Amino acid sequence: MRGMRIDLKLILQRAVSGLYGDLVTRPTGKAVRDGVEEALADLDGEQTAVIDFSAVRCLDFSCADEIVGKLLLHHGRARYFLLHGVTVAHCDAIEHVLGRHRLAVVARDRDGTLRVLGPVDDTARRAFSALTDGGPAGPEEIAIQLALPPDAAREALEELRLQRLVQQSADRYVPLTA
Amino acid sequence: MTRVVEVPQQFDDRSFDQFARAVDDPADRRLLFDAHATQWASPYGLIGLLAAGQAAAERGPERPLLTIPADRDVAHYWGRAGFFEYATEWFEMHGKVPRIPAAHSSDVLLEITPVRGTDDVHSVVGVIQERSAAMLSGELGLEAAATMGFAMALSEACQNIVEHAGTAGWVAVQAYHWRRRLGRRVVVIAVADAGVGFRRSLEATQAGRFGDRWGDATALEAALFQGASRFRDPGRGQGLGGIARYVNRWEGKLSVRSGTARIAIVPTWDDEKPLTEGLPAFPGSQVLMIIPAQQAE
Repeated sequence: MRGMRIDLKLILQRAVSGLYGDLVTRPTGKAVRDGVEEALADLDGEQTAVIDFSAVRCLDFSCADEIVGKLLLHHGRARYFLLHGVTVAHCDAIEHVLGRHRLAVVARDRDGTLRVLGPVDDTARRAFSALTDGGPAGPEEIAIQLALPPDAAREALEELRLQRLVQQSADRYVPLTA
Repeated sequence: MTRVVEVPQQFDDRSFDQFARAVDDPADRRLLFDAHATQWASPYGLIGLLAAGQAAAERGPERPLLTIPADRDVAHYWGRAGFFEYATEWFEMHGKVPRIPAAHSSDVLLEITPVRGTDDVHSVVGVIQERSAAMLSGELGLEAAATMGFAMALSEACQNIVEHAGTAGWVAVQAYHWRRRLGRRVVVIAVADAGVGFRRSLEATQAGRFGDRWGDATALEAALFQGASRFRDPGRGQGLGGIARYVNRWEGKLSVRSGTARIAIVPTWDDEKPLTEGLPAFPGSQVLMIIPAQQAE
């Protein structure tokens, strides 16, 4: 199922000021999160919310926490999130925040590379890379690719699924798509 | 009765404690800040002087006096750095104030700028990105991620004022070539206020955990290393830790002074102690970040 793109720069300009290009300060982050939550109301629970950072310059820790941290805390168990168009600097701020909350999210950088941000078991992280590189797969295929016992591969994929970092279709695990 | 507080001839973070000691006097006397012999002041010194002026003005019935530097070039530099624009609010000025508008240059990346609310933080972050990106990546050899991280660190430092000081503060950013001290170019961020300081800001939520040990030093340690915040929201209190992570990564220095203590993230090129207690008391908090040019491998 395709995701719905939510442009943070547009929300920033609509909710706070047309003059701002940066996601900085707590009040700004809260106003932007409110805007994102309004947009989420139009989304099917199985649809991925693609939070678009492409036009965002600076993201500070306060906004990373108010937007990404709190969105995942409030909605992460019920929705899929993909952060799109993130920079290395955005990832630094987001990783810092997610580490504190023990949460993880999928991000696509400006080169198109998908990765998991936040604390995730190393085997699960490798399984995620295998899925994004090779496409949907079941535990047996991942076990072979990563030279893991089948139970370990299944456990890693289940960890990803429970954290809503991948979706499941029949017996296959599927990376989130925009 | 007036008491004279000498502003150090070379007024920066290293002479700041000497200045604080001269200011720190409970006697109810009008202060005269004497900068006539001052030869040089860093952004840290200048905004520290503003904070001292604000604190003295708010304490007594009259504004303190300030004798401006006798050296014309020094006074002009203070003018270009934006000092007099805000000093007239807190000091009764003595000496000829140069009528020079604040202006940025290749070295003054951000003239002294007040931080009163979140709009100011947005403005500071926007301005610094426009003015400093080329210098940070060109002359300092920082990667793009580091230049963006610089704005982020600046934003967090300014927000500390908005959220914790209980009053306004100032920020200034300047580039130097530290030939003797480091042999490299550096960018220096100074952020200061005359507010309540870390100990009082954190007291209600954190003091109980520390019991008798609670003080300026423990408050700074809690804020920097444990992410302590006066808010009960678990997401709060990440700003200083994030700044520390940033300066560590780029071999920079972070120093935070509040009340009678100073805590620092110290790079190999500096010799400051990680924690200094028993300093002369000074109002509010003073943050210093130094990012040096990266050395070619």
